[in-house]
Amino acid sequence: MDFLIDYILIPLVKIGLILAVLPLAVAAITLFERKIIAFMQVRLGPMRVGPWGLLQPIADPIKLLLKEDIIPAGADRWIFVLAPVVAVVSAFIVFAVIPFGPAIRIFGKAIPLWVTDLNIGALYVLSISSVGVLGIILAGWASNSKYPLLGALRSAAQMVSYEVAMGFSIIGVLMLAGSLSLVSIVKAQESSGVWYVFYQPVAFILFFICGVAETNRAPFDLPEAESELVAGFHTEYSGFRFSLFFLAEYANMITVSAMAVTLFLGGWLRPFPNVSWLGFLDIIPPVFWFIIKIIVFLYFYFWFRASWPRYRYDQLMKLGWQRLLPVAMANVIVTAILVVLLGG
Amino acid sequence: MKVKRPELSLLKKIFLVDLIKGLLLTFSYQRPSANYTEQYPKVRPKIAERFRGAPRLNNDPETGETLCIACNLCALACPEHCIEVGWERDTAGKKVLTDYTFDISRCMFCGLCEDACPTPCLELTQDFELSMYGRKDMKWDRQKLEEGNQPVVYTK
Repeated sequence: MDFLIDYILIPLVKIGLILAVLPLAVAAITLFERKIIAFMQVRLGPMRVGPWGLLQPIADPIKLLLKEDIIPAGADRWIFVLAPVVAVVSAFIVFAVIPFGPAIRIFGKAIPLWVTDLNIGALYVLSISSVGVLGIILAGWASNSKYPLLGALRSAAQMVSYEVAMGFSIIGVLMLAGSLSLVSIVKAQESSGVWYVFYQPVAFILFFICGVAETNRAPFDLPEAESELVAGFHTEYSGFRFSLFFLAEYANMITVSAMAVTLFLGGWLRPFPNVSWLGFLDIIPPVFWFIIKIIVFLYFYFWFRASWPRYRYDQLMKLGWQRLLPVAMANVIVTAILVVLLGG
Repeated sequence: MKVKRPELSLLKKIFLVDLIKGLLLTFSYQRPSANYTEQYPKVRPKIAERFRGAPRLNNDPETGETLCIACNLCALACPEHCIEVGWERDTAGKKVLTDYTFDISRCMFCGLCEDACPTPCLELTQDFELSMYGRKDMKWDRQKLEEGNQPVVYTK
């Protein structure tokens, strides 16, 4: 009986919660994004659906789901149907290893707020997020159309140049924590009493830049580039399939934010976990600290989108290979030397 | 042609000074006082007093009779010939207004008719909501001109 509860029931409930809450969170942050960008552009944003447009996130999915679902005549049917599924599944399963908070007690049972604590969690997240790009490439290829293909090619090139720098940027954190498990990384930050962003500021900035590029958001939104490629890789998609891509993109944004929070900003820990007179901050539960930090990151995403123009293709390559990668490697070397000299 | 760009100093490049400047600008625009949007049908815009919009034929506020003396000067002044004044002579031989047609589909709201009018009768009001369902609706007769344009009021 205990076996059933521990290994079947509780994980299923957690998975169900994630699958239910994540689309709702995505719907909410679309409104958040539209409002933030509107304010930055001296507009009001959605105002007509509900008070201050608060019901807009409900109206949008309804509209999308009721639309006609078109598959172009020349498209490769199977891959065309499969591509959004690949994108959305890989965006969702990443959440299996993200620790939302420490264990909580329900009915005298300690329930950790993560689905599973993989001992290679960070590696898992990096590899799965690359599979998400495969969905984009498949979509661009299967559409049998110029713009999606160009978008897919750009996406492939972008992934190759940013994945490497991203991998290097987190190595510093992994060396400090001595583990690949996301839970132990947070616990290591708790025991050392300092968020790793203070030990690894360069790696943090690199990781966030690469994360923005990885999720195809401005200023690295070349694969969809509205002004150049119509809608990039999802030009030929409509209705439900388009909404899957949309869901995957925003879920990926949450993933990258959650990864940045976990690796660099102490996960569910409050600011300055070693300073005791800040103890009053503990009235906010750890899960909410985690969510607040993610929201701050999402705000930065939208802030960038409202402020900066898109990179040109060659500039993107140059930035990835000639700037970010050498800096990330130098950061790894310096961190390694310091860890050895100062004894971890 | 080769475009010459100013060379950025190394420090500016490393610390992304120009990008941060851009971020701060967009951040400052979030203050509510910077907002430019007018919630139009809900909130009425402020129209300048000298704006020239829908025409109106004014009645004498005391007697309720029209102020128009059927002199036809407005029709003569109109560069678009969109005004037609109908009149007849009464028993004393005085011109009396019978009919007045104003075609606002051709009107360019120059205000020359208003200037030509010797009485305070013809007036271009501040009303700007002039969309109609057909061309026929844009030929306004005397009754409509005296009542003034009555646009559909937004309620929600």
